[in-house]
Amino acid sequence: MNHWIVVPIVLPALMAPFIVLAMRHDLLLQRVFSAVATVALLAVTLGLLGEAAGGPPLLYKLGNWIAPFGIVLVLDRLSALMILLTAILAVVVLVYAISSGWDARGRHFHALFQFQLMGISGAFLTGDVFNLFVFFEVLLIASYGLMLHGGGMARMKAGVQYVAVNLGGSTLFLFAVGTIYGITGTLNMADLAVKVPLVPEGDQALLRVGALLLLVVFSVKAALVPIHFWLPGTYANAPAPVAALFAIMTKVGAYAIIRVYTLAFGAEAGPDAWLAADWLLPAALVTLVVGLVGVLGAKALTRLVCFSVIGSMGTLLIAVAIFTPEATTAALFYLVHSTFAGAALFLIADLVTERRGSAGDRLVAAPRFAQSGLLAALFFLAAIGMAGMPPLTGFLGKLMVLDSARASDSMVTIWTVILVTSLLAMVGFARAGSLIFWKSSAIHGTEAGGTVIRPALPIAAAGAMLAGMVALTVFAGPVTEYLQATAAGLYDPVDYIHAVLGPEALAQR
Amino acid sequence: MEFLVASGVGAMTAAGVYLLLRARTFPVIVGLALLSYAVNLFLFATGRLVVDRPPVISPDALGYTDPLPQALVLTAIVISFGMTALIVVLALRAYLEAGSDAVDTAEGERPGSGNGGAP
Amino acid sequence: MTLAWIVLLPFIGALLPGLMIRAGRDACALTTGGVSLLALILLLTQAPAVFAGEVVQAKWIWLPALGLNVTFFVDGLGFFFAALILAIGLLIITYARYYLSKDDPMGQFYCYLLLFQGAMVGIVLSDNVLLLLVFWELTSLSSFLLIGYWKHLPEGRQGARMALAVTGMGGLSMIAGMLILGDIVGSYDLTVILQNRDLIQSSPGYLPALLLILGGCFTKSAQFPFHFWLPHAMAAPTPVSAYLHSATMVKAGIFLMARMWPVLAGTDAWFYIVATTGLTTMVIAAWIALFKDDLKGLLAHSTVSHLGLVTMLFGLGTPMAAVAGVFHILNHATFKCALFMTAGIVDHEAGTRDARRLGGLAALMPITATIATVAALSMAGLPLLNGFLSKEMMLEEAAHTAWAGNTWIFPALATLGALFSVAYSFRYVFHVFFGPQRDDYPHHPHDPPAGMYLPPAFLTVLVVLIGLLPALIAQPLVEVFAGAVVGGPLPEFHLAIWHGLTPALGMSALAVAGGAFLLWRHAAANRIRLSVPRPEAKVMFEATVEGCAALSHAVIDGLHNGSLRRYLAFFVTASIVVGGVAFMSGAHEAGLRPLTPAPVIPILGWLLLVGACAAIIFFHRNRLLTLIIVGVIGLVVSIAFIYLSAPDLALTQISVEVVTVILLLLALNFLPKETPRESAPLRRARDAVLAGVSGLGVGGLIYLVMTRDFTSISEYHLAQSKPGGGGTNVVNVILVDFRGFDTFGEIIVLGIAALAIFALLDGALHGPAAKSLSSWMPDQERARDRHPLMMVVATRVMLPLSLIVGVYIFLRGHNEPGGGFIAGLVVAIAFLMQYMASGFGWAERRMKIDYHAMIAWGVIIAGLTGAGAWLAGRPFLTSDFGYVKLPFLDKFEVATAIGFDLGVFLTVVGSVMLALANLSRLARRTEAPISDKPMDYRPVPEAPYKAEDAGTAGAAAREHG
Repeated sequence: MNHWIVVPIVLPALMAPFIVLAMRHDLLLQRVFSAVATVALLAVTLGLLGEAAGGPPLLYKLGNWIAPFGIVLVLDRLSALMILLTAILAVVVLVYAISSGWDARGRHFHALFQFQLMGISGAFLTGDVFNLFVFFEVLLIASYGLMLHGGGMARMKAGVQYVAVNLGGSTLFLFAVGTIYGITGTLNMADLAVKVPLVPEGDQALLRVGALLLLVVFSVKAALVPIHFWLPGTYANAPAPVAALFAIMTKVGAYAIIRVYTLAFGAEAGPDAWLAADWLLPAALVTLVVGLVGVLGAKALTRLVCFSVIGSMGTLLIAVAIFTPEATTAALFYLVHSTFAGAALFLIADLVTERRGSAGDRLVAAPRFAQSGLLAALFFLAAIGMAGMPPLTGFLGKLMVLDSARASDSMVTIWTVILVTSLLAMVGFARAGSLIFWKSSAIHGTEAGGTVIRPALPIAAAGAMLAGMVALTVFAGPVTEYLQATAAGLYDPVDYIHAVLGPEALAQR
Repeated sequence: MEFLVASGVGAMTAAGVYLLLRARTFPVIVGLALLSYAVNLFLFATGRLVVDRPPVISPDALGYTDPLPQALVLTAIVISFGMTALIVVLALRAYLEAGSDAVDTAEGERPGSGNGGAP
Repeated sequence: MTLAWIVLLPFIGALLPGLMIRAGRDACALTTGGVSLLALILLLTQAPAVFAGEVVQAKWIWLPALGLNVTFFVDGLGFFFAALILAIGLLIITYARYYLSKDDPMGQFYCYLLLFQGAMVGIVLSDNVLLLLVFWELTSLSSFLLIGYWKHLPEGRQGARMALAVTGMGGLSMIAGMLILGDIVGSYDLTVILQNRDLIQSSPGYLPALLLILGGCFTKSAQFPFHFWLPHAMAAPTPVSAYLHSATMVKAGIFLMARMWPVLAGTDAWFYIVATTGLTTMVIAAWIALFKDDLKGLLAHSTVSHLGLVTMLFGLGTPMAAVAGVFHILNHATFKCALFMTAGIVDHEAGTRDARRLGGLAALMPITATIATVAALSMAGLPLLNGFLSKEMMLEEAAHTAWAGNTWIFPALATLGALFSVAYSFRYVFHVFFGPQRDDYPHHPHDPPAGMYLPPAFLTVLVVLIGLLPALIAQPLVEVFAGAVVGGPLPEFHLAIWHGLTPALGMSALAVAGGAFLLWRHAAANRIRLSVPRPEAKVMFEATVEGCAALSHAVIDGLHNGSLRRYLAFFVTASIVVGGVAFMSGAHEAGLRPLTPAPVIPILGWLLLVGACAAIIFFHRNRLLTLIIVGVIGLVVSIAFIYLSAPDLALTQISVEVVTVILLLLALNFLPKETPRESAPLRRARDAVLAGVSGLGVGGLIYLVMTRDFTSISEYHLAQSKPGGGGTNVVNVILVDFRGFDTFGEIIVLGIAALAIFALLDGALHGPAAKSLSSWMPDQERARDRHPLMMVVATRVMLPLSLIVGVYIFLRGHNEPGGGFIAGLVVAIAFLMQYMASGFGWAERRMKIDYHAMIAWGVIIAGLTGAGAWLAGRPFLTSDFGYVKLPFLDKFEVATAIGFDLGVFLTVVGSVMLALANLSRLARRTEAPISDKPMDYRPVPEAPYKAEDAGTAGAAAREHG
């Protein structure tokens, strides 16, 4: 058994208390250890990706109890990809948080950051529905801490809403899991995949209730309309690096949807096959529209970015909702892309905001500010990516989604919505950009914050996110190959089930 | 018995949801607390109802109730306790900052500057 | 390989200007020019192959999953356009060096220009249509930057945004078109697509694909009704206008029509859409151009008109028309680019480009005048100049084209267009360079430096040469280029000045005469124009965009109005709907599990519970009362747990209950004690409905679940608890062993909660929160004796007792109800009692416990116990157990899990204490300095304390804030 599989969870879980214990009052030490741990996490996840790419899913039996009775972690291509993505994002965000001094604006940033990573990794790795709930709670409560980091009235009030909505979500999660357990008598995902087809006819209705309520829970995380309302207020008020890190949080919801509804409610699930599709597709289409209309209508840069994130979740979930290997490949590609794009935009928005002084991030003409040329270039690239203009990943991802949508009955709708909203995005970003970066040069005023010496590292961090997009563009071929293998595994989960439950379970199936 | 438990869960849920939709932090918190009671009982009941058959192994036990939901509920109780504690303090802090405990904000009007922070 | 370099060079080169500008403007211009020149030379090396009729290809795999590969190929057509783009680019670069003023950032300019150049070359050399799309959109983006180059000019910004929006829109429709096309053919490679004419034209996808692709072409080439963006793009510096709107960007659409001609053209749909659009554009734009006083505006519209002409020619679908089209592209590029440059010169030297303020410049700037005149006459289509030749061919084709059976309308309109074109060309000459000299030119006009007039001069020479010796110079080129367009055998044709007395000759004679007359009567014509309504496209466009933006803003902020109540209402409704529909959509049968009898006690409890739930809804405004009712509900729930054989749950529930209520009380100390009645009756009704439905839903759901049998994995847990987990209390064994990982996560949640709470409260001691704290007045009369004697004594006696109880509960946990969590809460409560009874300061000083460390140790111990299994080569959290005998207590079975449970215990105590201790620390902030003696009695009045305390706290707040 490969003990490295549990390391992405245990490492931050131990680093965080260690930071609290040994260096609570020394920010420098906290920074060093936090950074070391995060880089180590990156290294480990890289290694795990190599492992996963090699062959069938790997099982880790916690407490050495056999599934489905104990809790298991499963490392397959999907989970490996997600934890690697998390680690990459974490390193960049941490660099930004440290170099911009965000981590000094409150207590316990680094401990909470490590716990946050632990929660996210756990959610991606676990193979047990209730354990997924636990890790959702870990990553949520850590995110509350991070989101509230630094204080301030607006942030506190937004925080109340964020917490309240997600507590509602957690409650619903328990209702759903309870129902599913009450019908199938199991909590293990692979075991669900085996037991769902065997559920007696008379229990179908209840099983569906449980399964679809679970979809609602995941949709809250994935910011699917009409339960996306928490996102703009939260992300706009969260500290910028935290908002950037949250780019992966919405993906946790998307991941959970992909995982559960291909494994347990996929082709084999008899009457419940592809249960999620009918609900997901329309909601995702609306989400895309709402998001991009928001981009056009936003009156502040950060808020604009928030809505662009909602829009990207729409595109992503459209692809998910088609439920074919090709579409899921596209979805995963778009997932990686939108994580980078979203994070980059939040960081850039923050860089702009703090330079514009009193104007803040409001979309109004203000005197030109320090390094506006450089930031304009970064924003231009990030916007291209998010709006899905070539040559960056957004365009490739969008093409893949459109291409895979051929398999859907509602292809015309999907194409229309995606293409029209792309236009909205183009116009929206162009308006914002020309207002902030171009019109400023027409305004003769004192250069806001021109005299302050700015650290270069935060800009480098934002640049690193863009570099990630460029790399993803250049190596789109190999990446897609990996994703195709991933999707293939999801749509033929025999290996997964075999790895978790052994051959006899397959025989039952 | 089943009916009593079910209707009890229902009643707590209803009360919880109603308070959840109020305009001030305190009732919202109480509502969430009620919902967590409801969901704990719900989760527990998914193991079906059994009278005096505690899941403690002993030779002369006639049988046991389903222990798994109980364990799940224990975890759930602890977690919801942590969550409640957090949101209570958060509500308190928000009240101290804003001077009001209303839950609604003027989101669109005053967009978060992203770094409006205290010290 | 060479092909790829031709495309890549400009992109790579785009990095240079930004650097070279440090070495001066000349160095910058030279490097930029060098890059284009190199690319051009590389292209010319391909010439022999191309003229031998070969097709040179280069291929790299990029995204095979999508069929998107980096494949280039060059044939006659591609070569023609690439050469045009690079050659004219070279001239533009030279010209711009002298055009741009000192304070224009030249580095940026050349950077954008090269990006644009690369994108254009990419379009014309791509073999893969998806790759073509990439470059297509890149031209939109780079032209956006070029047009908006003068950022300070609002026209520049608007023009740029408009161009991006319109061409970008076209690009999007083209994406769809290309995807359909690729779907029909089964490949995205042009070379393959071009082989499948019949397959494509017979497929049902043909028409949609055609429309969508043409959408892209028409927007890019500013065809009616998308023509409006181009004139406004003229806000850009003249070199940009000259480049984008004579030779390149607007030609991209034309290029694509030419490229796709073999497979898309030849159908009625093609003829009626393309030819009609082209003709309309040609006439309308020419008419508008005639009255543009801004020279660049005039040229812009004339460009649109000529693009319409070419479009119309391709639209006819006959090979001969295609030949004419290709030939006119060549000619138009030469004379129009020259004209733009002269316009720029006039603007630069005379200080204005308004035709009404100019005139008589011929004497002042003879060279410019000559160049402009020759080029303009060619545009007018006068003999001996290249414009004449292609216009003749155009009229010849138009002459025998029937439109919907009508034989005269097409030639008539074509002649009309030519007539207007003559008129505005003449106007460009006479109203600017001839007529009386004036004395009110903004600057003193004179010929520019050679660097500025040589490029247009060179082009004008071409204009004349081609005009004089078409057969010698143009014929071979056109044959190759047009051959590539038609993709088959070309009809026999001779480029010559004299074709005899053809109808075309008559038509163009008519056009020239009419044009001259129209210019003579220009004022009168203008009156006519002013009398007819003229929709101003720009205004409409801006209005539309702003309207959409305003609308979206209204919609979005109306929707996301920051009302948590609305958000949660949506959430609840969504859950209800999804749950309900899900239930309806599945088969359902009632369960067969026998019901459990309900004796009196539970019924009483049930009544109490339901009553309490009802009460809390009605009395929730009284917050203290609410808390009491919550307590009651919690109590009933715990009793229910006991009754239903869940002792552990009962213990946990009750102890959590206590701590929660204490916490809420401490918080309520600061919060208002009443909730105002805010919601309107209607909203309350809505909420009541939502609440009722969710209650029914959840209750019904659990009822249905409880009333049916099922088999659970927990059989295994019951069986394995003792032999495998070493404990008889299965719940506890599950918690610390079977599902210990859940517990690990759970205590971490607690720990995080405590840390976050600490951060929150710590923050509250600074900034605005602190101010409101220090000015905070207790809204209730306080008890006189802060620490009642009875309570103090009682709690201090109880402390050791409760600690022992805690330890006992902890140790027995594995076998009997109990365990680390409950023990932790019991101990925590015992400590809390001390705080409450004897006061914060007193307790603080006697219990020197670092709760941070306690939490940290808890998590670490739990984690390390789990990791300990690694040493035995077993997975995380694998437990082992043996027996120990503790004195005075019975035999204990000690599992390694107990270490884990210890972690749980510590974390719980630490978390609870950290949270509550800090909360009371906050409370303390608001109060008078306490005499830390226990059982102190606070004398009245308290006012002086308050005042001074407020003062100090205020100061503290200031130094922190």
